[in-house]
Amino acid sequence: MSLIFLKNIYKIYNVGGEEVRALDGVDLTIKENEYLAIMGPSGSGKSTLMNMVGCLDTPSSGDYEFEGEKVHNMDDNQLASIRNRKIGFVFQTFNLLPKATAQHNVEIPLVYANIKREKRLKMASNALASVGLDDRMHHKPNELSGGQRQRVAIARALVNNPSLILADEPTGNLDSKSGQEIMNIFDTLHQNGNTIVLVTHEDSIASHANRTIRLFDGKIIEDVAK
Amino acid sequence: MFSLFIENIKISVSSVLSNMTRSLLTALGVVIGILAVTLMGTLISGLDQSFEKSMEFLGKDVLYIRKFQWFGNKDWWEIRNRPNIQTKHSETIRNKSQYAKYVAPVAEWWTSVKKGDENVSGVRVSGTTEEFAMITIAEVDKGRFFSRAENRSGARVAIIGKDISDALFQDKNSLGERIRIGSYNFRVIGEMEKQGKFLGMFSLDNQVIIPIGAHQRLFSRRGWTGINVKVDEADLDNATEELTALMRQVRRLRPSDEDNFAINRQDPFKEQYAMIKIAIGGTGLFITILSLVVGGIGIANIMFVSVKERTKEIGTRKALGATSKMILFQFLMESVIICLFGGLIGLGLAYGGSLIINSFFPSEMPFGLALAALGLSMIVGIVSGLAPSYKAAKLNPIDALRYE
Ligand SMILES: Nc1ncnc2c1ncn2[C@@H]1O[C@H](COP(=O)(O)OP(=O)(O)OP(=O)(O)O)[C@@H](O)[C@H]1O
Ligand SMILES: [Mg+2]
Repeated sequence: MSLIFLKNIYKIYNVGGEEVRALDGVDLTIKENEYLAIMGPSGSGKSTLMNMVGCLDTPSSGDYEFEGEKVHNMDDNQLASIRNRKIGFVFQTFNLLPKATAQHNVEIPLVYANIKREKRLKMASNALASVGLDDRMHHKPNELSGGQRQRVAIARALVNNPSLILADEPTGNLDSKSGQEIMNIFDTLHQNGNTIVLVTHEDSIASHANRTIRLFDGKIIEDVAK
Repeated sequence: MFSLFIENIKISVSSVLSNMTRSLLTALGVVIGILAVTLMGTLISGLDQSFEKSMEFLGKDVLYIRKFQWFGNKDWWEIRNRPNIQTKHSETIRNKSQYAKYVAPVAEWWTSVKKGDENVSGVRVSGTTEEFAMITIAEVDKGRFFSRAENRSGARVAIIGKDISDALFQDKNSLGERIRIGSYNFRVIGEMEKQGKFLGMFSLDNQVIIPIGAHQRLFSRRGWTGINVKVDEADLDNATEELTALMRQVRRLRPSDEDNFAINRQDPFKEQYAMIKIAIGGTGLFITILSLVVGGIGIANIMFVSVKERTKEIGTRKALGATSKMILFQFLMESVIICLFGGLIGLGLAYGGSLIINSFFPSEMPFGLALAALGLSMIVGIVSGLAPSYKAAKLNPIDALRYE
């Protein structure tokens, strides 16, 4: 069974009376343990597609099934619950809470999943350990390097064992060495059975994935598997 | 859900604390509002206490025949030209009134009281008869009141108030000692119990009581005079009517003449006091409502700013699985906590203020009012936080994440 099933997805914005087709009839199936890179020029709809897959956004029209459940019919609370339990997000700008420690940042999805404190602390430390930050648990974001911050964000995405990890240009704000470290972590996650979708501009990053799709003007124009 | 509730409170508290200065400034309106309402309550409770005591001093069942109407609004000249109350009329009243149980003439004069080198000035010297002891509620603490015989013979004996015994005798025995009232020697035969201040204005204990005969001989007739009449509480109105008729008779007033005296009782004090209370309460309430409204608007404003500043945080939280309700609750909690925080500071300041008030007259901060004040600040927090929190909750996660 496929993890993600998108059929004939449109996302249409109306800007000043003019129609912008951010997604223009996208069909996409993602299987479990796939490692997918989304590429394409700026404005081609990569982020829009990723947000759609991540249940942050709903399509203007089209069908979307996540693990066999029809997402396009769900209300906000159901979408929030899917994001909370099934999906881990990694953002280009890290999006950590500046005043919270690494551990607390990683805890947040567990708070919304209503998990008890002791268990939360343990799960958060384990997740941080798995990205090699066991010695930085009580640091705040401004006490961490960019690469370390992104590792905290990955730990946060991992912490509730999601079915899918989504990363929108995760190395976009990092130097190449830190970027390489981050990609190594994604590779390991993939080897451990996780399903990963990442958006990137760089071929060197996309080369880590085993399947690459290319968007242009909201359409998938290329879909190649390694 | 409970652990989420606790977490939400923690999130809100830490966000309020991390913006301490801003939270404090924001909460200022609530601080002032709560301060005003609790101080007002404290003040009124204190006034109530002191008023009750003072009214006890006047007595529910005593009529005071005086030259002036208490709280009257008669023309000043008319009142000034009235004849003084003559103490000898007390005899007439005692003989003719069927309601009067006790009648005591009172003459007052102010002078100094000395014992050796100790000197108290401005002491109220009251001349009266032995029946005064039956009318006043104050008790003789040590020694005794003067007798009918002593009163008749104009004996130079005195019952001294607590202020006088404290000043002249401290802990020593005063009974049988000689004191000088003005320039005359008197023998102390009793001490009155402590009575405190009348309506917080003057001490009831700064007085000496002597037989009226001696008073009139020695201290001229220039002080004011009056007649105190004790009746049954149930007869107050009838007695007032009867005394008015008797006074008109002894004054030989024609039916067309107006009364040129007044029969007073404690009631107008109560009416006057009720008005003062309404004035204080109204002012306090006005300040409270005004500052809570202004404070509430300030809090709503700062919460809108906070929501705007943290748009990205809201987007992130939603991406991580927060529902709209959870976000709503987080921001609502935050504004409630700012308000509670302000409320607590206000209560703290009010407590300090109540100690200061207490040093003027006995009073305490009403506990129920303090609780209500905290409840009120919570309501202000909810009301002013509602719109900003709703805005935060309704943010589209994508727009929020895109927000720069
Ligand atoms: N809220 C919106 N309102 C109107 N148009 C939008 C909105 N969001 C996205 N778009 C448009 O949709 C198109 C796709 O945007 P998207 O962010 O998906 O591009 P992208 O491929 O991620 O670009 P980049 O590589 O620059 O991040 C763009 O033309 C954009 O202007
Ligand atoms: Mg993008």
